[in-house]
Amino acid sequence: MSYFMYGVAVWIFLWGLYGIVTSKNLVHQCICITIVQSSTYILLLGIGFRTGGTAPFFADIAVGTPVVDPIVQSLMLTDVVVEATVMALLLAMVVKANELAGSIDPDDLAVIFG
Amino acid sequence: MTSPAGQWAALPVAIPLVAATIISFFGKYWGRRTTDTLAILAAAANLYFCSHIWLAVRHAPLVYWFGNWWPRGNMALGIGFVIGPIGATFAVLVSFLSVASLVFSWRIFEETEHTFQPLMLLFMGAMCGFCYTGDVFNLFVFFELMSATAFALCGLKTKEPAPLQGSFNFAITNTVGAFLILDGIALLYARTGALNMAQIGRSLQQAHPADALVLLSFLLISVGYMVKAAIVPFHFWLADAHAVAPTPVCVLFSGVMVELGLYAVARIFWTIYQFPLASHTREVRAIFVALGITTAIIGAVMCYQQHQLKRLLAFSTVSHAGLMLIAVGLLNAKALAGFALYAVGHGLVKGGLFLCAGIVLHRLQKIGENKLHGRGKGMVFTPALFILGAIGLAAVPPFLLLAGDANVSEAAKPFGLAWTEWIYMFAGAVTAAAVLRFTVRTFFAWGEPAPKDQASEIGELPETEEEHARVPAMLFVPAAVLIFSSMALLFIPQFRGVVDSAGEFFTDESAYQSAVIDGASIVLPPAPMGPMRESAEHNLIALFVAFVLALVTVFSRRLRYLESGFAPLRRLHSGHPGDYIAWLAMGTAVVGGCFVVWLR
Repeated sequence: MSYFMYGVAVWIFLWGLYGIVTSKNLVHQCICITIVQSSTYILLLGIGFRTGGTAPFFADIAVGTPVVDPIVQSLMLTDVVVEATVMALLLAMVVKANELAGSIDPDDLAVIFG
Repeated sequence: MTSPAGQWAALPVAIPLVAATIISFFGKYWGRRTTDTLAILAAAANLYFCSHIWLAVRHAPLVYWFGNWWPRGNMALGIGFVIGPIGATFAVLVSFLSVASLVFSWRIFEETEHTFQPLMLLFMGAMCGFCYTGDVFNLFVFFELMSATAFALCGLKTKEPAPLQGSFNFAITNTVGAFLILDGIALLYARTGALNMAQIGRSLQQAHPADALVLLSFLLISVGYMVKAAIVPFHFWLADAHAVAPTPVCVLFSGVMVELGLYAVARIFWTIYQFPLASHTREVRAIFVALGITTAIIGAVMCYQQHQLKRLLAFSTVSHAGLMLIAVGLLNAKALAGFALYAVGHGLVKGGLFLCAGIVLHRLQKIGENKLHGRGKGMVFTPALFILGAIGLAAVPPFLLLAGDANVSEAAKPFGLAWTEWIYMFAGAVTAAAVLRFTVRTFFAWGEPAPKDQASEIGELPETEEEHARVPAMLFVPAAVLIFSSMALLFIPQFRGVVDSAGEFFTDESAYQSAVIDGASIVLPPAPMGPMRESAEHNLIALFVAFVLALVTVFSRRLRYLESGFAPLRRLHSGHPGDYIAWLAMGTAVVGGCFVVWLR
């Protein structure tokens, strides 16, 4: 089970990177960032998962009941919040780029190089 | 917790957050001057508290647990700040540069009234937290906070495409770097069940030699932070971002944000991976020093080819980041103290040079070397500052960089790496020569005008409305203060002594663990200060070479190719975020391959 989760995380991470590298569309590129990000969720959840574990709400379960790790979930939640901000910023920049250059191709955005 | 500073540990993060919130809520009702004054006051208050914390921790590190969640047994329950002298020094540098940038911005940015100051304050608070924290996930959160504000600050001038490109590339590259760090942290957590660095370190103490999982987490975290530190081949975003970011923002980017990436690499190595990698220290040193040398050389070569002043300074930062990685990579207490001294000295000098670039932009409305030829004739004090800054980059007396350089070359000798001194001389000479070349062309109109250049053709949107006849004090004074304080610090032996002895604590994992988890009080013994004479002589030679190189390039027609650069290398800096990510993936694979071969 656990090794399968790690394999999935690596697989998604690499496809996301491939998407960013080959992308010809800024919105598509942003989506690929989200794909890379979702691989980190799978890794974190895979680490915190326990077979037969229940949700980590301790109010109404007996002491000693196996639960999944709540810490990785809070790590993930933190990451979701931060990346939502970054994604909003990136998409706002894409809108602005479309207004200025009339295009969302990274080729047209690259004005400084060399 | 005897001194009041023990209670103030959270203030350098809290003050900027509160002030930023107030300014962004009420900024639109208040005038520009009110928000400016508030922001400067908040940054000055931060500087005050950071300095107090520095004074409190200079001989004994401070551990602060939020909400008094003390550790129980070997387990850290809460989140803690572990403030050592080196982290505290970086926090003071952050606040000092922020005050200078905010004062500088008093006279510029007429249109972006209500977003600039809150973002600057958030950026400052995030960096202070980054310097102080002792928790590996907290370090990541502050890293993300400072990255997100940095992306926004970089793309503040959205009236032309170039800032969008710079900010977009910056954001994509650094976000992928952040995911690498997060994956590394997740693996560490999977192994140790801990997020506190001291606790992770303690539970990995027996994991020796390091297994594949520990090595992989080290690879991911160190590469992620090296993206921030602009180490070749992860450096591409830096030049794009610095060339277009507003000048006061560049001061913080180049002056301290890049250095903090290296601080984090050193932090995680010494607190977490020191014991697991103990039998492979030599190989880790070889990998880091090799990366540092590559970065220093490529950065210097690229720097000399640039004719857009801010991009030139950006590549100079890449080069110096390489030098600082050599210092970190020597994996030695003395070299680490050298890194801190060099980083502070470099941050002040480079911050001052960026503010000088801002003065040029304000006064002459251009930033390309070819368009500025002779336009600055008659200006006296600005070229003087440029020349002083160039001298500082070569790390000659009386600049603080010399103390760092001396420490590093002293520490390199036992490892048979004394020749890294040549890399320091080369990078110092070339980056100094590039600034000198710009200075003599712009302000003295010597020689031929500079050749055209893709980046210098981009008309940077001026930060102020019209061409100004004189340089206002609000612009000149911060630049001068930064450069002169880099000189003054060399003559305060207490400062150098504190940082020197701090290197010992930073690299002593057992002392760190007992301070954090067992609550032991540690007193830092004074360290003997090494001689600087030898490095001073070497760097004076480098400075002489820099003057010759600058004059030769400016006057000789036959040697013009020196500044037109190496075309294949230039083409690699393509401006495409996709290419940058490809380089990032390749660099990670190469460093990972070295790990597999040498660190098994």
